[in-house]
Amino acid sequence: MKVLCDREQLREGLAVVNNVIPPRSTKPVLENVCLVASDDALELLGTDLEVAVRYRVGEVKVSEPGLAVIPARVALDFIRDLSSETVALESADGRCTISGGSDSCELVTLDADEFPVVSRFDEEKTLTIQGGTFTRLVGQTAFAAAREAGRYAMHGVLMVMEEGHLKLVGTDGRRLALSSTPVDQPSEDIKPSILPTKGIQLFCRVIEDPLDMVQLQFGENQVGLKSKNAEIFTRLIDGEYPKYTQVVPSETAHIVEANADLMGRKLRLVANVTGDEARAVRFKVERDEIAMFGRSAGRGEAQAHMEVKYDGSGSSISFNPDYVLDGLKHCDQETLRLEFSDKSSPGKFCLGENYIYIVMPITIDT
Amino acid sequence: MSTREEASAQGGVIRRMDELVICQIAAGEVIERPASIVKELLENALDAGATQIQVDLQEGGARLVRVSDDGCGMTAADLELAFEPHATSKLRDASDLNHIASLGFRGEALASMGSVGRCSIFSRTKTAETGHRITNEGGQESPVEQAGGPRGSIVEVRDLFYNTPARRRFMKRPSTELSRCLEVLQRAALAQLGVGFVATHDGRRCYDIEVGMDLSDRIRRTFGAELAESLVPVEADNGRFRITGFVAPPRFSRRDSLRQMWFLNGRTVKDRVLIRCLREAYRGFLVEGRVPVAFLQLSMDPTLVDVNVHPAKAEVRFREDRHLFGFLLKALREGVQQTDMATPGSSLLSRALVRDGRSLREMRASHPGQTALEPTAPRTPWRVREMPAAPLEIPRPAQQGAPPSAAPNAATDDLRGPFLQVHKTYLVRALADGFEVIDQHALHERITFEGLLRDLRAGRVEVQRSLIPEVVEVSRSELELLIEHRDSLARIGIELDAFGETAVAVHGLPARLKNPKAQGVVRDVAEIIARTGKAPDAEDVIEEVLHRTACRSSVMAGDALGEDEIKSLLSQGQALGAADQTCPHARPTRVRFTLDDLEKAFHRK
Repeated sequence: MKVLCDREQLREGLAVVNNVIPPRSTKPVLENVCLVASDDALELLGTDLEVAVRYRVGEVKVSEPGLAVIPARVALDFIRDLSSETVALESADGRCTISGGSDSCELVTLDADEFPVVSRFDEEKTLTIQGGTFTRLVGQTAFAAAREAGRYAMHGVLMVMEEGHLKLVGTDGRRLALSSTPVDQPSEDIKPSILPTKGIQLFCRVIEDPLDMVQLQFGENQVGLKSKNAEIFTRLIDGEYPKYTQVVPSETAHIVEANADLMGRKLRLVANVTGDEARAVRFKVERDEIAMFGRSAGRGEAQAHMEVKYDGSGSSISFNPDYVLDGLKHCDQETLRLEFSDKSSPGKFCLGENYIYIVMPITIDT
Repeated sequence: MSTREEASAQGGVIRRMDELVICQIAAGEVIERPASIVKELLENALDAGATQIQVDLQEGGARLVRVSDDGCGMTAADLELAFEPHATSKLRDASDLNHIASLGFRGEALASMGSVGRCSIFSRTKTAETGHRITNEGGQESPVEQAGGPRGSIVEVRDLFYNTPARRRFMKRPSTELSRCLEVLQRAALAQLGVGFVATHDGRRCYDIEVGMDLSDRIRRTFGAELAESLVPVEADNGRFRITGFVAPPRFSRRDSLRQMWFLNGRTVKDRVLIRCLREAYRGFLVEGRVPVAFLQLSMDPTLVDVNVHPAKAEVRFREDRHLFGFLLKALREGVQQTDMATPGSSLLSRALVRDGRSLREMRASHPGQTALEPTAPRTPWRVREMPAAPLEIPRPAQQGAPPSAAPNAATDDLRGPFLQVHKTYLVRALADGFEVIDQHALHERITFEGLLRDLRAGRVEVQRSLIPEVVEVSRSELELLIEHRDSLARIGIELDAFGETAVAVHGLPARLKNPKAQGVVRDVAEIIARTGKAPDAEDVIEEVLHRTACRSSVMAGDALGEDEIKSLLSQGQALGAADQTCPHARPTRVRFTLDDLEKAFHRK
């Protein structure tokens, strides 16, 4: 293998691939990147067996096609610190030489046959959306997915096509985030898929320009995404996702409209006092006002007030402030709407045109 | 001819026993071994108002027990009656039984001793010119005769059980009998402040308590400086009951109860209510089967307690035991929480050294460069003789090393890093005088548990309700139990409903749980209900229920923690005060290694 490439482009590719490559693995070959030079392209392959990425480096000159498997972290660090415009890669007899200007290093290569096979993107049955939209949908839902052990199906983000919308859902059983976007060429035969949270977050890493279009491909066991330079695939979670539509309250007794940014600031104010240990902040709504109350056995109490739009009969509901703040961070409009019925049924935060966030309240037994 | 026929030939089977046999039988209850004699005679001496008591023993007390006091003494007429059964100066009529303030009162002791040993009593009252002596050998009383001697009384019992060989055979080796006698004496010495005690064995002085010593000094003299310096005082008075004394840190606990002493109005008692109360006070700080060390004096109006329940007077009965229990528990719990609960690293080090099969001394000897550093201080036994199973229980030789440093003062400890997480399980951090190792799961479990308990007691259980209820499969019988106790479960923050015939849907769990695991919590609680047959919020199972709940939902061993998480964990632990030294299962949460320990480990000392 003999390739000449632009240093910056190669570095960018290695950085993307290194996101997937595990820092330590029981299978040492996985700590490597596989360089594949074909007639006119250089591809970088990396995988942790759950997520796999194939990155195509632009502006290369291949003088001799071939393969080399080299330590990914070392290669990235070395190329990042080189100062030349271009980098030459040359491999022969179990060695790979990386040189830039007058500097070079020689890395030991592994047998390319040991490297796992990385799929190719299949252009059939794909869905096209804008990269920035996809990133936003993931950001608005992945945080709500479960992290702790148990309830395996919730350890990922559900992707589903419904009514001409691509919907993403994340839940840990106590809160649920649902964000969707209309799709131009809806194909209704795409089956619902649960993507591991780590995998779907890595998807966003290969989207370099938010204005670029990306393609999604839904397979039997994996979902893939193709961006300008990269193809990335993740294994799916095999499980039954909760029936999320049932938990979205349709009719509620109280509807409050509030400035999202202000609510976030007021809530953080109160949460400073409730701290790590106490969880609940009580939202008391009365004519055109929300009052928030928090208390902690050890520290004391706090309250904050803000003007809102509300003309109901008054009520109150308590939430874990961390949960609410998580959602407010991703709110994409100035005014949010909070809808709830009573202190023990779910609170629904409408945080965007196609973005709702449902939080179960904390009930306090007194 | 059989006995029965012989008896009927004399005209009847049943005969009246003679006085000596009656006394010998009665003596079996009162006098079991030399230590019983020491106990009875000490009580007599103390009831006589002695301020200085000497006990002389030979051959563990089997050859001789002699108790000399400087008390009020007895007159010749008193001596005449001294060996009569049920003759006593301490009770006059039955009504006196209701307010017994003296130690002895049954009037059996001297009569019993007279029947099983060779006794003599010399006594001289404060005002008399001369004293008198009477002897009783196996029930044969001598007449009272004049004799010379100091004021007070000297009672001797020689050749115990010389006339009852069956009992003599039950006596143990002299060293064993001696230690039992000394135990009795030590208890008396700790109970009777203001009285001096001296004991000799075969002419050698083996125990010495001066009149002016207070309880702490007496404990130090009896059990060593390390224990004495680690004790935390307890003091409370509610008008009816008064308790004073000391409790020891949990690491001093033992398998036996020799160092748990209760003194009721100056009398040594071993009462179940009191023992249970102390165990309760140490709950969560001691592993099962360990007996805490404490020295406690309880005083109350004698009419509130019946001491005439047990021949050895060890058990008593309280008239207001519930009140008493609550009063004691509060006072004791406060004391226990102030004790230094850290497991001293030095005990682990010493164990490690012994485990290697070599003592430190041997190691030093094999290291020529270190020999010059051999301390000239008194030689203390380094090797721990018995190897206990649990890490908490290493008894450290009394004078060895400095006492473990007190728990870090919350005000001065700013929890500054760096922190090191080892094996995703232990947190290590430097202290001013060493370092400590913290078990992250044990500490978090304790924090969660205390929080749950506090919320429950304050009636403020915050429940995080579930958007998507978690379904937990259980057996049919468990389902019935869970549904039956649905309301009490809800009171502790576990909200569930039946879901089909073999599952429950969990709608809510305490908001305090960081990583709630409904399945583990529900199954554990079902198991506790099935085993105890009690509602999960019943007072005696609630702690177990909350332990399990906390355990299931805490940071686990194997969870990687960031610096902020570690800091938050440690500061929450610090907010708990002393309670953060053990997890609710009483495993230690932290082990502390002082510079002293390190110096020992590296043979710098």
